Amino acid sequence: MTATTTAITTSPPRFVRADGPDKVTGSGRYTADLSLTGVLAAKFRYANIGHARIVRLDVTAARAMPGVFAVLTADDVPDVRFGPFVQDRTLFARDVVRFEGEIVAAVAAVNAVVAQRAVDAIVVEYEPLPVINDIEAALSVESALVHPDWQSYGAADALVRDRNDASFASITKGDVGAGMAAADHIIESRYVADGCHAVPIEPRAVVAQWEGNKVTIWTTTQVPFDARAGVCETLQLPTNRVRIIVPHLGGGFGGKCGFHYEAHIAALARVAKRPVRLVFTRREEFIAPDRRRESIVFNIETGVLDDGTITARRAWLAMDNGAYTADAAFFSQLAAMHTAGPYRIPNVQVEAHLVYTNHQPSGSVRAPTAPQACWALESHTDEVAAAVGIDPVEFRRRNAVDTGAVGPSGQTYGEIGLQQCIDLAAGGAGYGQPLPDDEAIGVAIGWWPSFSVPSGAYIKIDGDGAGQIITGAQECGTGSVMTLRDLAADELGMKPEDFELVYQDTAVAPYDMGATGSQTLLNNGRAVIAAAGQVAEQLKKLAADHLEAAEADIVLADGHAYVAGTPATTVSLVELAGIAAGGQLLIGHGSSTPAEAPPLAGSSCVGDLGMAAFVAPQFSCHAVRVKLDRDTGVARVLHVSAAHDSGIIINPIGAHGQVEGAVMMGIGQALSEGTTYDDQARQRNAALLEYKLQTCADAPPILVQFVEIFTPDAGPRGAKGLAEAPNIATAAAISNALAKLIGRPVRQLPMTAERVWNTIQGDAS
Amino acid sequence: MSFVIATTIAEAVAAMASGARPIAGGTDLVVGARHGKAALPQHLVAIDRIEALLVVHDTADGVTIGSGVSHSVLESHPLLASAYSGLADASALVGSPSTRNLGTIGGNIMNASPAMDTGAPLLVLGAQVELQSMRGSRRVPLSELWTGPGRTSAAPDELCVMVHIPTPLVRSGSAYLRLEYRRAMEIAVVGAAACVVLDEDGFVVSASVALTAVAPTIIMVDGLHSLAGANVPEAAVRVGVLAAGQATPISDVRASAQYRRHTVGVMARRAVEAAARRAAGDIVAIPLNRAIGIGAAS
Ligand SMILES: Cc1cc2nc3c(=O)[nH]c(=O)nc-3n(C[C@H](O)[C@H](O)[C@H](O)COP(=O)(O)OP(=O)(O)OC[C@H]3O[C@@H](n4cnc5c(N)ncnc54)[C@H](O)[C@@H]3O)c2cc1C
Repeated sequence: MTATTTAITTSPPRFVRADGPDKVTGSGRYTADLSLTGVLAAKFRYANIGHARIVRLDVTAARAMPGVFAVLTADDVPDVRFGPFVQDRTLFARDVVRFEGEIVAAVAAVNAVVAQRAVDAIVVEYEPLPVINDIEAALSVESALVHPDWQSYGAADALVRDRNDASFASITKGDVGAGMAAADHIIESRYVADGCHAVPIEPRAVVAQWEGNKVTIWTTTQVPFDARAGVCETLQLPTNRVRIIVPHLGGGFGGKCGFHYEAHIAALARVAKRPVRLVFTRREEFIAPDRRRESIVFNIETGVLDDGTITARRAWLAMDNGAYTADAAFFSQLAAMHTAGPYRIPNVQVEAHLVYTNHQPSGSVRAPTAPQACWALESHTDEVAAAVGIDPVEFRRRNAVDTGAVGPSGQTYGEIGLQQCIDLAAGGAGYGQPLPDDEAIGVAIGWWPSFSVPSGAYIKIDGDGAGQIITGAQECGTGSVMTLRDLAADELGMKPEDFELVYQDTAVAPYDMGATGSQTLLNNGRAVIAAAGQVAEQLKKLAADHLEAAEADIVLADGHAYVAGTPATTVSLVELAGIAAGGQLLIGHGSSTPAEAPPLAGSSCVGDLGMAAFVAPQFSCHAVRVKLDRDTGVARVLHVSAAHDSGIIINPIGAHGQVEGAVMMGIGQALSEGTTYDDQARQRNAALLEYKLQTCADAPPILVQFVEIFTPDAGPRGAKGLAEAPNIATAAAISNALAKLIGRPVRQLPMTAERVWNTIQGDAS
Repeated sequence: MSFVIATTIAEAVAAMASGARPIAGGTDLVVGARHGKAALPQHLVAIDRIEALLVVHDTADGVTIGSGVSHSVLESHPLLASAYSGLADASALVGSPSTRNLGTIGGNIMNASPAMDTGAPLLVLGAQVELQSMRGSRRVPLSELWTGPGRTSAAPDELCVMVHIPTPLVRSGSAYLRLEYRRAMEIAVVGAAACVVLDEDGFVVSASVALTAVAPTIIMVDGLHSLAGANVPEAAVRVGVLAAGQATPISDVRASAQYRRHTVGVMARRAVEAAARRAAGDIVAIPLNRAIGIGAAS
């Protein structure tokens, strides 16, 4: 194990992102920048009401307006229900609207002004239905149902569903009743996290153009192959007639995962017989997509001995699914894992419900469920530590999992670095040193699985020695696609600049899951190394012929092939590429093989979607110093010390960037970012003035440290993922600092100034 | 729809006489229109290139600030920073660097938002605006200008040309601060400005205090003459209580009325404390928010 303690103040190693110059000089093109001859503007008619039956929908006037080329409703597209786990959704509302951002109709017109006028001219009359606005109330047997026909929907076999409960999961280990009975103390806590948003700075955009029976769709997706699958499913097209291209993507954070408006725009373009472009406003970006971070209610109970040993944990949680089940079905099991936490607890019983409401649908946002669950669990953990009078850091050292320990779902961990993360984060924060009485340091630990999935890439080297990496991977800003050049270059003894990347185009590259699940480098990195390995073999064979040496003795380095031991016997790769161009071409392909899920022993899981076994688990500890203005409840983060075990770090500057950005997102979740609803289930703060992101001016110094341990099931060279893990523990650590300053925890997330002030006043509501 | 670019005050008031609305930085007008608050006026006259409106004059009886002066000039102007610190405190908080480069004092005043930042310090500093139209010009104390959210007593054809602030009394100091949830791109949850005059022994001679975002307009706190002779800590506490009592805030997505009422008292107390320190000759960095850490301890 090596602990690299590279603070951001030390000069990071040089890494030139292939997409960097385009992005910083403005020469890069994003989807909304694209212009095609005759392109029309699209606008949607939204429900703007939480729950209602459509009693009249009349588009006659809109269709008759000059400049309007197409107006579509549910009657104009195939009658298909879709959804990755539960097929509960249609492209356009049919009979009933279930959240304010549901699309009732779509218009394509000469420009956005005419399109909006046509949208306004669509006549819709509603009969209001009961609005389901509260997660816990929705679970009661008296509650009206968001989907009365839920039983008739297609759904994944593993799902456990009942009424408004779209996905139930439980994790059971040992005998929680006996564990509680054996405890000296039982601590019970309730925490409630509000929903929040991914807020990519680029609002989404889609451009679609048909040529004959084939459609090309330029779109702001993090998951091009998923988007393609959605178009194929809903418009009933084979995959080879739908081409998804993603120009530069202006951020995603999970908000642009899934399949969104590609099919609507393709359908409009087909009817209009013209290319069509959709560009979202910021308000649409807030209310419409089925990807926002879910609100969760937590009830957690822990039994502990006087000496600080945890004997049992019981938890119940209910998550806001919103009106449709996007990819959130697996959240139940994932949130259950995060509420059990990376602790050695012999007896565990966690139950999690994913509950339909009339809110915007939830979906994967950077480490889905984990920041909220970590916030609740780790705030609770400090309450437990306080009950037995043990320092919170020491309490975690004693109870957190370590190498060889068994986790809450019965997984035995290999060599892991959580304990080292605790030491590094606390040490980096100066934990234990005296502080002014309005400052405190809070500490929290987190974990996250690596997602091992199929992924492919090609590499070719043309006659002039220039390389291309053709990959299905999607770059959402993290730099992981950009890092692929370094991997290929290393395999081939070339320079990263010798390669251009061809990416984000489903028609030219093999499958990849997309910029989701921190999986790009983990899986596509292995595919690229495999593809480069094939080309290396081809080069070595050519070099062996050329140098009259044995293939096994050829070494590729510094743009040359030479014979091991006699570096003077050499030929340049450019020369070899020229030879290859006249004969056997230099082409490699690679595909990563998913690792097997680690075995679980002694636990049982209901609603199992594969989230209880963590492949190559990542661990983290954040220690955050917070200053509190007790008169107003305004808190400010003064310093963040983040330590991560994400395996071997391949690109240090990119890794630092991931942690810094995720910490800032975590500070926002902790203090200022949360969606509030009116009594009709409409968002009250769907705008950047009222939905408060953190700004550069708010950023504290962030110390980033890595514990680098080689893990067999990880990605290339032992790298695990890193895009999501650093987003998990920040809010929890801030909560624990605030609780120290106030004397009790703030039980609602975000811990806004007013909520903090209310807690100081003794109102724990 | 018409758009005229005026280069003199005369051109601007002529355009306004025929129905044009002035646009200075456009950071309220254009942004508001984009957000659907109010459509852009049919007829606009751009006033940002009128040089006569871009001046800051040190005069015998105070300072005269052209309505077109931007917040970035106001926050860094040495005269304002030293003698009219409360105004500089306010301008330094507006939006972001780009908002401060474009946004003007005239636009801030005439937009008449109850959450505007320069309003409270201008009130406690006793500022007047000079309004000009084809019919002539007149001076209006700020206390008589704002009549409601987004409403002023100015006629539609009157251009705000100058802001006049009288010379501060000896041993006086002013300060403004606001409650904010983040350090940039923020709007006052509540705010307070104070102008405090001290005697040679450091006791209060007089104080005036104005409050932001707790009523339909910026309001002055009443009943402060009783503070004469009080020591500063005591005066600050009493101002805080009076401010909270006189505020009539609303509940909205940003804060509840109860929280606003409480925090405006805290802001008022701190504004008095900081103004008194400045009156006593202490240097308190601008903006006060950053110096004492509301939403911003560093
Ligand atoms: C991102 C952002 C952040 C902001 N943050 C803040 C903040 O923190 N605090 C704050 O107080 N404000 C803030 N604002 C609001 C705005 O920037 C300020 O009010 C600014 O001072 C307005 O000046 P302007 O020149 O841009 O006004 P404009 O938009 O040009 O005009 C505003 C109104 O005043 C009228 N007007 C302008 N000049 C004159 C004149 N000379 N005579 C008569 N009428 C006139 C216009 O017709 C219009 O009705 C923010 C705005 C944005 C976009």
